[in-house]
Amino acid sequence: MDAPAASVLDDRLYQRLVELAAPDGAERGPGRPDLRPAVEQALHHEARLLDERLYRAWLDRFTQDCVYWIPLDPAGDPRTRVSYLLDDRRRMEDRIGLLETGWAHAQEPPSRTCRIVSNVEAWPLGDGDTLARCSTVVWEYRKDRLTPFASRNDYVLATLGENWSVRFKIVRLVDSRSDVRKFSFVL
Amino acid sequence: MDALDTLIQPHRVHRSLYTDPDIFVTEMEKVFGGAWVYLAHESQLPEPNDFITARIGLRPLILTRDDDGGLHGLFNRCAHRASTVCQSECGSARRFQCSYHGWTYSNRGELVNVPFAEGYPPDFDLSDHGLAQVPRLGTYRGLIFGTLNVDAPSLADWLGPAGPLIDEFVDRSPSGRIEVRNCQRMVYRGNWKLAWDNAGDGLHPTFAHRSFLVLNERQHGGARSLSQFKASPDDTGMYGADLGNGHMFVDQRPGLQQSFWETQRPVPGREWYADRIVESHGDGAAEVLEMAPGSMINLSIFPNLLIKGNHLETVDPVSVGETRLHTWVAAAEGAPEEVNVLRMRIAEDFPSLGNPDDLEIFERCQEGLAIPEVEWVDMSKGLGHPAEEVAADGVRRAPVTHEGPMRGYLRAWLKLMSADAKLTTARAGETSFEKAA
Ligand code: FES
Ligand SMILES: [Fe+2]
Repeated sequence: MDAPAASVLDDRLYQRLVELAAPDGAERGPGRPDLRPAVEQALHHEARLLDERLYRAWLDRFTQDCVYWIPLDPAGDPRTRVSYLLDDRRRMEDRIGLLETGWAHAQEPPSRTCRIVSNVEAWPLGDGDTLARCSTVVWEYRKDRLTPFASRNDYVLATLGENWSVRFKIVRLVDSRSDVRKFSFVL
Repeated sequence: MDALDTLIQPHRVHRSLYTDPDIFVTEMEKVFGGAWVYLAHESQLPEPNDFITARIGLRPLILTRDDDGGLHGLFNRCAHRASTVCQSECGSARRFQCSYHGWTYSNRGELVNVPFAEGYPPDFDLSDHGLAQVPRLGTYRGLIFGTLNVDAPSLADWLGPAGPLIDEFVDRSPSGRIEVRNCQRMVYRGNWKLAWDNAGDGLHPTFAHRSFLVLNERQHGGARSLSQFKASPDDTGMYGADLGNGHMFVDQRPGLQQSFWETQRPVPGREWYADRIVESHGDGAAEVLEMAPGSMINLSIFPNLLIKGNHLETVDPVSVGETRLHTWVAAAEGAPEEVNVLRMRIAEDFPSLGNPDDLEIFERCQEGLAIPEVEWVDMSKGLGHPAEEVAADGVRRAPVTHEGPMRGYLRAWLKLMSADAKLTTARAGETSFEKAA
């Protein structure tokens, strides 16, 4: 396999992430109704890719400078705090590669998931990117147990339409400050 | 409960240690009450009047700093009718007022006000009704411990050879101090000792972490994180040790073929942050970068602290079949900011890619332990091996895949479970404090 691309995560990218995450709950006004169909098209498609465990196809929808972040509450500045995970593209590939080894015991048997994406709102960010917020519940079934993972998600979409792509994905688990079960599928 | 000493034999352990609710109740009382238990790190309550909550076994606790900076271990239990008086995980407070009937306590634990005071018996004395306290607190290099056991050895003696190893962990920071940041909280459906068995277990990485090993070889090649366990770990010089009093040590450092930094799997931001360090430190950059990856040691301080990577992980039992793991990340105080940014990303790496496999297997063990007729857990590897002899410093060192460290902590467990230690609480002003280092 080719050597994975170098990380592009730098201080500037962190800063953008912090600014994006900061106004958690701040009033932006209602989302733009005209953006919603295209945003929902992307989010619903993403949900299906993940539920069907088409992880490579999912990864292909992320930009080269993407960040996939699951903060611990409060999100704060990830430069000074640990998160559940904060992945660049290279570590996302690792996460998928881990499942592909066939030796990831925590995914033997694999989780079956069904995710509900709702309360979708979207705003233009000015630089061509689109901010989307939604509420998500991922129902995970594994080993006779059904476990919900509820979160409020933020996305920055770089492209909409047929070729939709994601620059940032932030998953804010509502219970990230309590004791969560380790999950090993992609949220 | 059978006689305890029949449950632990030289080469095996009875399943009831993991499944019997009566044993669990006793160990929460005697093991966690009788040992020195890790509570928190001083950097988590740096200022006067700061507090943080903790537990000693199942006993809820508020660890406070008074306005003179003194530490107090207050049981989070109103002296009136038992409600907890503090609901926050941490913060700053001079007073704790119980929300049930308004009794109010200082952060030294004294009862300072009882509303509607008329009606209590004439001999009702506020000073008899303060918050009960942990009678003995102590610190070692910023780590705060407490015990209810007035007969326990001094904290320094309790730690013994583990002390200098804590020094090695802390002294990776230029200032000689760590700064504890936030924590990841995980829970698994299994007994707390499954995490403890695992902490001294150099036999499992080759198999339990096969996904991580295979991934690293495929994606990144070379001698990356954990590759020292790929084949024949006992030929690498890595060793495990029973440090006495239940403390265990696994030293992975002799297994490394390259520097910590070169061995570290690439984490997000690796290139940009390393470049900044090279720019600012020139020839000294390699030494600075060595501070970012984990310590490559697993130092387990019985019964509830696992020091590993750059983490202080607490093992917090909930019930006989459920355990919480709180993984606090330590920053290197005095290191360039870039080092600690990298530490945050490194602190997410193995915990999210490797540890789920550990926790899955703990749960599989708990499932297997459910069979009453299959009674024993084997821990015989290395028993009778010449390397298991106790060295002059009281430490047993043996090849890393041996199970001597587990046998060692179970000896300490049995001693605490069988002892008739005097477990007690103290009143405000009656507690003792030891600064061990
Ligand atoms: S229980 Fe605390 S004041 Fe009554
Ligand atoms: Fe492990």
